[in-house]
Amino acid sequence: MLALLAAFALVSLVVPALTRVLGVRVFFLVAIVPTAAFIYTLAQTPAVLAGEPPAETLPWISQLHLDVSVSLDTLSWLLALIVTGVGTLVILYCAKYFTNTEEGLGRFASVFLAFTGGMYGLVIADNVYLLFIFWEATTVFSYLLIAHYTGRLASRGAALQALIVTTAGGLAMLVGLVMLAVGSGTPNLSELIYRVPHNTMATVAITLIIVGALSKSAIIPFHFWLPAAMAAPTPVSAYLHAAAMVQAGIYLIARLAPGFADIPGWRPLLLGLGLLTMLVGGWRAVKQFDLKLLLAYGTVSQLGFLLTVVSFGTRTAALAGVALLLAHALFKAALFLVVGITDHRAGTRDLRKLSGLGREAPFLAGIAVLATASMAGIPFTAGFVAKEAVLSAFLQDAASGSTLGWIALIGVAIGSTLTVAYSARFLWGAFARKKDVEKVRPVHESVKFLFSPGVLALSGIILAFLFGWLGTVLTGYSTLFPTEGEDYTLALWHGVDIALVISTLTVIGGLALFFARAAVFAGQSRVPALVDSGRLYQKSTRALDRLAGRVTATTQRGSLPFYLAVILLVMVGAVGTTLALNRTWPREILIFDGQAQLAIGGIMVVATLALAGAGKRFPAALLVGVTGYGLAALFAFHGAPDLALTQVLVETVTLIAFVLVLRRLPARLGKEHEKSHRAVRAVIGAAVGLLMATVAVVALGARSASPISRAFENLAHEFGHGSNVVNVALVDIRGWDTLGELSVIVAAATGVASLVFLRSRTDNLPRIPEHLRRHSLRARLTPSQEVVAAEYVPGVQDPSTRNAWLLAGRMLAPENRSILLEVVMRLLFHALVVLSLYLLFAGHNLPGGGFAGGLVVGLALAGRYLAGGRYELGAAAPFDAGKVLGIGLLLATGTAIAPLFFGSDALTSAWWEATIPVLGHLEFTTSTVFDIGVYFVVVGMVLDVLRSLGAEIDRQQEDASERLESGSTI
Amino acid sequence: MSASLTLVAAMAVMYAVGVFMLLERSMTRVLLGFLLVSNATNLLILIVSGRAGVAPFFGQEGLQADPLPQAFVLTSIVITFGISAFLMALIYRSWRLASVDVVYDDSEDIEVGRRRSSMTAEREVIGDETEFGIRAAAAVSDALDLAELERLEDQASIAEQLKTEELTIARSLADHAAAEHGAAEQKDPEQDDIEQVADR
Amino acid sequence: MNILTPLVVLLPLFGAAVALTQAKHPRVQMLIAVSALSAVMVVGIVLLVAVDANGAIAVELGGWQAPFGIVLVVDRLAALLLVVSAAVLLAVLVFSVGQGLADGDRETPVSIYYPTYLILATGVFNAFVAGDLFNLYVSFEILLVASFVLITVGGTELRIRAGVVYIVVSIVSSVIFLATIAMIYGATGTVNIAQLSVRLGELPPDIQLILHVMLLVAFGIKAAVFPLSFWLPDSYPTAPAPVTAVFAGLLTKVGVYAIMRTEMIIFPGGKLNTVLLIVAALTMIVGILGAVAQSDLKRLLSFTLVSHIGYMLFGIGLGTAAGLAAATYYIVHHITVQTTLFLATGLVERQGGTTGINRLGGMLKSSPLIGVLFFIPMLSLAGIPPFSGFLGKLALFEAGAQVGSVLAWVLIGVGALVALLTLYALARAWSMTFWRQTEEIAGYESPLPAHQTMGVSTEVKKARSTPRIMMGATAAMVMLTVALTVFAAPLFELSARAGANITGPGYYISTVFPGGTE
Repeated sequence: MLALLAAFALVSLVVPALTRVLGVRVFFLVAIVPTAAFIYTLAQTPAVLAGEPPAETLPWISQLHLDVSVSLDTLSWLLALIVTGVGTLVILYCAKYFTNTEEGLGRFASVFLAFTGGMYGLVIADNVYLLFIFWEATTVFSYLLIAHYTGRLASRGAALQALIVTTAGGLAMLVGLVMLAVGSGTPNLSELIYRVPHNTMATVAITLIIVGALSKSAIIPFHFWLPAAMAAPTPVSAYLHAAAMVQAGIYLIARLAPGFADIPGWRPLLLGLGLLTMLVGGWRAVKQFDLKLLLAYGTVSQLGFLLTVVSFGTRTAALAGVALLLAHALFKAALFLVVGITDHRAGTRDLRKLSGLGREAPFLAGIAVLATASMAGIPFTAGFVAKEAVLSAFLQDAASGSTLGWIALIGVAIGSTLTVAYSARFLWGAFARKKDVEKVRPVHESVKFLFSPGVLALSGIILAFLFGWLGTVLTGYSTLFPTEGEDYTLALWHGVDIALVISTLTVIGGLALFFARAAVFAGQSRVPALVDSGRLYQKSTRALDRLAGRVTATTQRGSLPFYLAVILLVMVGAVGTTLALNRTWPREILIFDGQAQLAIGGIMVVATLALAGAGKRFPAALLVGVTGYGLAALFAFHGAPDLALTQVLVETVTLIAFVLVLRRLPARLGKEHEKSHRAVRAVIGAAVGLLMATVAVVALGARSASPISRAFENLAHEFGHGSNVVNVALVDIRGWDTLGELSVIVAAATGVASLVFLRSRTDNLPRIPEHLRRHSLRARLTPSQEVVAAEYVPGVQDPSTRNAWLLAGRMLAPENRSILLEVVMRLLFHALVVLSLYLLFAGHNLPGGGFAGGLVVGLALAGRYLAGGRYELGAAAPFDAGKVLGIGLLLATGTAIAPLFFGSDALTSAWWEATIPVLGHLEFTTSTVFDIGVYFVVVGMVLDVLRSLGAEIDRQQEDASERLESGSTI
Repeated sequence: MSASLTLVAAMAVMYAVGVFMLLERSMTRVLLGFLLVSNATNLLILIVSGRAGVAPFFGQEGLQADPLPQAFVLTSIVITFGISAFLMALIYRSWRLASVDVVYDDSEDIEVGRRRSSMTAEREVIGDETEFGIRAAAAVSDALDLAELERLEDQASIAEQLKTEELTIARSLADHAAAEHGAAEQKDPEQDDIEQVADR
Repeated sequence: MNILTPLVVLLPLFGAAVALTQAKHPRVQMLIAVSALSAVMVVGIVLLVAVDANGAIAVELGGWQAPFGIVLVVDRLAALLLVVSAAVLLAVLVFSVGQGLADGDRETPVSIYYPTYLILATGVFNAFVAGDLFNLYVSFEILLVASFVLITVGGTELRIRAGVVYIVVSIVSSVIFLATIAMIYGATGTVNIAQLSVRLGELPPDIQLILHVMLLVAFGIKAAVFPLSFWLPDSYPTAPAPVTAVFAGLLTKVGVYAIMRTEMIIFPGGKLNTVLLIVAALTMIVGILGAVAQSDLKRLLSFTLVSHIGYMLFGIGLGTAAGLAAATYYIVHHITVQTTLFLATGLVERQGGTTGINRLGGMLKSSPLIGVLFFIPMLSLAGIPPFSGFLGKLALFEAGAQVGSVLAWVLIGVGALVALLTLYALARAWSMTFWRQTEEIAGYESPLPAHQTMGVSTEVKKARSTPRIMMGATAAMVMLTVALTVFAAPLFELSARAGANITGPGYYISTVFPGGTE
């Protein structure tokens, strides 16, 4: 069986390709697979009869109790025969139904086969989760099949509707299955139905599963998707919506009935819904004009009928149920195929336009008569036998004095009356001569085309005679139910009994209804639609959309301040609550730690508060600077010279950068927006500040263990070979952090360049001749390049001026330069570079290190730029920042990787010392190389900032002004 | 251990004002807020490093300050520097693009708020038309060709779609214009400068 | 192993460094990037096998013994995520090469893209292996700053706007995270995760709770958990397709991973499980409602991204081994599938010239392959069997059912509902984008102003031929998603073992301190 499933999958994968070659003939090839499955199943009959169902298991995911286990007990055997048999016939029918020009033919063939495979898997699956997999597979494939005419809104809509409704049910069912499997401790249907835990959980579970089944089988309140799905090609309707998919739900109910029929609520619920569906479906069917819709509603009615019977839970009912299942599959599929041919021939399915088709297509009509007879339950048809059985089952139960029996009996009787009525309407509508309707033109009947419906219709009759034998097979299922007295046996003729009387009455009543149709219509038009959940579905989807829109509109404001406010409020709320619950508060309190703190802290607070009200950009920047320098001072007094140093340098560079940007923005900080929110923002701010303060105090107060860093002093000395603990921590003990930090810097620098240098359509930049690109690397427009370019400006080319000391001289307008400043900066520059190197190498033992050193160089460069403009900068740093960053990163990562080659952990530092005559005692640790990397990266970063936010902005500004001037002169 | 309340207070104020400015729309204010908040955080790390002491150098006499938080602060200082530089470039960029220093709301979100259904065209229709129509072998004369029927239906649906779309467009255009107007008021430095002159 | 572990971080970083010096040779850069990531993937696989065989690895960097130095810890979970994320990063990189993001599109300077992308990878990998809280913060910073650069790449007005939202929210979350670390250090005097789980346990419970909540808030923002998630759908969609894809696939998951570690190692005991479950439910529902309301593919997907974060929280919130295993599998599934969907959307955008669903149509006819490449991950995301999405949900449901609490059942119900709504939103988009005839939209040009119609789409020229390599990359990803089903059995066994490792801190601690703490 698994092999067959695999075959289904594989063949459907190759079909699309084959279709290009074979056209519609591909269907003959496709039909082979289900045929094989049919034959195989038939071959298993003895085993099934013997009561030892063939089973196969392929373990899959044990954690999920999901195994590929299939078995072929009586019920599965019957269903397997139906789905494969009918499937084969319908596929053959397709070969004639479609033409090679049909759009998406390959897709259709492949999906149809896949669907058949899914159905086959569904009916033989034993593991509940496997069952669900096939269940959903059929849903998805039907989605694709219904929407075969993708260009048509109707098809798409119907497909979506079917998909959503059945998936909704499916998911409910999944939850139910999980409940059941976990509750009963086995995922296998065959064992599950014997170990039903009779508790509320089981009841909930089974209800959910029922929901799934009902949605699949288009039982009220889910019935509406089926008629809509008639937008599908007729073969699809014939298979999915008559024989196969819609019967899956019935199958599941039948599968579970032996275990659950006596669960409270099961019988009344299903019986009620079943009968209601049967009546509503019939009622609707009687008034349809589109033959296909008539059948669709008929199917709904029949499904209700089936549900009523299979869920009834007595032995006879069970037997009758499966018999009816089989009969229905045969005649309904046949009828749909007939309608397909009608449509194919006459070009319409509207019974008001069809007249005299019977005369023109006698064989078609004959087939239709046979099938309809079975549907109406005329004697000597399968339908008749099944109906007899059903009626006697209910009679039996009613006789034993159960009201449900009576209800079922009466309901079914009325239902079948309607069935007879619409059966008659169908025949009359499709084939009868109608007055004042133009009769159809002559059509020729093709045997090939009639083959499938013919076989189906005939088998309906043959079956009637085989039922006696078939019944004995089917008892394999019905005996799962408790016996009540002597067992009923299916037979073609039970003699004249009450059941026969009832069914005769129904036939008469039905015919009467048909002939009095005018009156019936009148009546119907007066009665409002009984159940219209189709509109309900549309309403609910609309409502869903509206709800979604509203919710999204409220949460998704698209406003950054709103988002931030929410985030901060959540933090304040959540952490605040925990603080409110906090019982352990620090014992002793420390007002200040050295007077200096008071003074500095006071200044910082004042500056901060001033900042809140600052209206202009420069003052604001300065005020932030104050807090930064204040922080540096605090560091200094706290015993953190390295921090103080670095903080001062960083703060300065940041200020410079800030100023460089701000000079292009208006002085005013723009008016504050939404003044009304000012208070809110103030409150949030205050809350956050308070929160942080409290948590800090509480957390620090809770410290009991001594910090790990107590050991650092000795570690730094003995293994790090440096006496500046912080520096050793940075470049060695926690060098990995520093490495990460370097990558942050590199990324940031790259980002700055990318934002300022990007060549968008607005600024078109001068191209530099190829041969001049030598020492320009990263973004194609470093100032240094421009220096080169500038040097080629005629007039400045002669060698005498080439190496002038103050390069800026030629590049800056006289009024913009201050020679003195330039000279000073020039002199300072090298001094600063030397200082930076000192800091770099001394850093291991004294305050300093790579960061400080790099920042000093950065400041030197900034000085050069501020004094002499961007050409001066280009002269000071005639190399590409990107390269510097890259080299720095290379050095750092290199030192991290190198130790790996010596088998030690990454970043492990090595240390040498030597006494060289002149230089004296020298020490060297590899972590210094790492620090050099840091140094380079920082230099590169600052250089990038100056290049981008300084030089490039100048250039863009000048361009703009030039453009302006040229514009004005012309 | 216990924290120095002075520092804690300073930190609290810095956090408060920083958040206050972060919640602004002016990107420059956001940047200032970020700088403040980061400084506050560095201060926090300093606070949790415990009591002040002598600089942590090998062999230094007396209680040394905790070196590990210092390493953290150094890292975070540098990271903050990188990010703030990036933010500045961002500010400059958005100024060059639109000469706005303001974060506007996401137009698509505003849009969604208005729309009734996100996808207007897909609605369910019960299909009762035939598949072959006049293309059939021997069609009855008034059999409606399905292609025909489809076109009618689609036109209908498109018309509807257009209508709803136009509606939203009209609205969004309107408030887009409004936004522009607002922006115009916000920016335009000369205006500010003039005001300043007036002040003096 | 001690040699391999740091390589997952060092290789991409080294690659970035080299790439920076090779700025003039995009081809070289591309080769470097591809080889670096493939190398990481290989290393990751080796690590995974090794760890699965002989238990987790702890590497003491620089030979500095824990807790003094920084340790990298690779357990099954970390190794698994390393492999998956490396694969995804690689595929997306190839895709972006094909899209010519690197050279063709003048909106994006090449010299910036590759190094930054590698640095992003560095951050992601480092976050997975970090055994030190402060180092985790640093890795977050790495991937954040890199992502800042990538999301604003090209610097169009729309991207800047979206970028600002993303950047500001991210830096706020980082500040909260750093502050929390400071608090934790203040209370415990250490940042080594293994040692933290011991020392924090010794603190008074109410103080533990305070720090615990703060940490969760910080990570919640990164993981885009409701109500900290609003920023995401506004910022992701505007970036170039590959960038969005990798962000959606990986960045939020890093946050989820951090939450996992927090709940299981740093603050074990599941005191906040109830809260997590409630938050998970809200995240799922609100997120998916957002998706239903969207009319743009990229935005729609961004919302599904948010909503499906809820499923992972569900697994974590259960706190059982089964729940964690399910969450682990779900993370793996979601990384691949969400990325694949965004890549497929990138193809749609390339082909159709827009991602506005109301302006798309006829894709199935014009390029059926794209249809397949979109359809499969779509089903998988919606939890249609037999795809990984279904298996993940089934695992979650079973884990929930075993817990059996009322809340767990509610979560299961919500999970099912959200799966349905996901299908609803996606199927609707599908039938308009792929099935609807072009005639149905022909001659209908939206007069919306450029930045109102999802700017990126307007930048793309209409109906360009789609490079094979993009198709190839996407197809490879689709294969990967299918592989998640085919090899589900071993994957689930692995996830189960991974989940078992982190149900309590014991295993982790003994990995870092074989001789016990202190």
